[in-house]
Amino acid sequence: MVKKIKLKVSSRLLKKKTRKSTTNLPKRCRFSGNPELEKEIDYKNVDFLRSFLTERGKILPARISGNTTKYQRLIAKEIKKARIMALLPYNAVTF
Amino acid sequence: MILYETLILTVPEITNDESKQLEKQIDTVLQKHKGVKVSFDRWGKYKLAQPVNKNNYGVYFLARFEANQENLDILLADLSEYLTLKAANIVMRFMNTVLDPKKGLNYLKPSPLDESARDIDKFLKDNKMDGLIGTANKSSAPVAVNHATTEPEDDACCDHEEA
Repeated sequence: MVKKIKLKVSSRLLKKKTRKSTTNLPKRCRFSGNPELEKEIDYKNVDFLRSFLTERGKILPARISGNTTKYQRLIAKEIKKARIMALLPYNAVTF
Repeated sequence: MILYETLILTVPEITNDESKQLEKQIDTVLQKHKGVKVSFDRWGKYKLAQPVNKNNYGVYFLARFEANQENLDILLADLSEYLTLKAANIVMRFMNTVLDPKKGLNYLKPSPLDESARDIDKFLKDNKMDGLIGTANKSSAPVAVNHATTEPEDDACCDHEEA
């Protein structure tokens, strides 16, 4: 008779592995090396700018969006312009 | 020549005559200071992200023009003077921005609200309604009760007249 051997892998270790695989993804700026996408940064292009806002209407930080400092500044400027013209909210529950 | 654009936010109740007058006045300001009009677009009606001058809706206009560097300051001053003072009852907000010549004249804008007039028959069909008046009668069923109550009122009136 061949004995079945159970391999014990703790759930904690499994969680750790999955966490590592998700967090260690390389973050890339979508604008650098993409001049056509750079042209879309405009205060009139509200639908595009919405992807850089949170649900409450706050600007996403660069550490989350992955933008380089140059493009983060550009996007923040355009979002603020759109806010002045009431195209984007300053702060909202739903928009 | 420098390319400029002004995005104008007006009140939602703006009429066609008023919008034409707005375009004309901008043209006259541009001609006065040797500016060249490139385009004047009516974006349409939009729901604003936050209320402006107690209005939840607004109509946007985008005017694009070229200006000489010599007359630039006077032109922009005159334009802002017209929009803030003379057209203050229509214009809620406006913003002048320099256009990047590399980007070109094409742009993307948010989709406006539907302003077209609806056909009543189509609306009734969609909502499975016989008619606006018919539904009102159905909903206000206790009308018959009111009729019964009106009789004593008539009597009272008559009594009042007799008195």
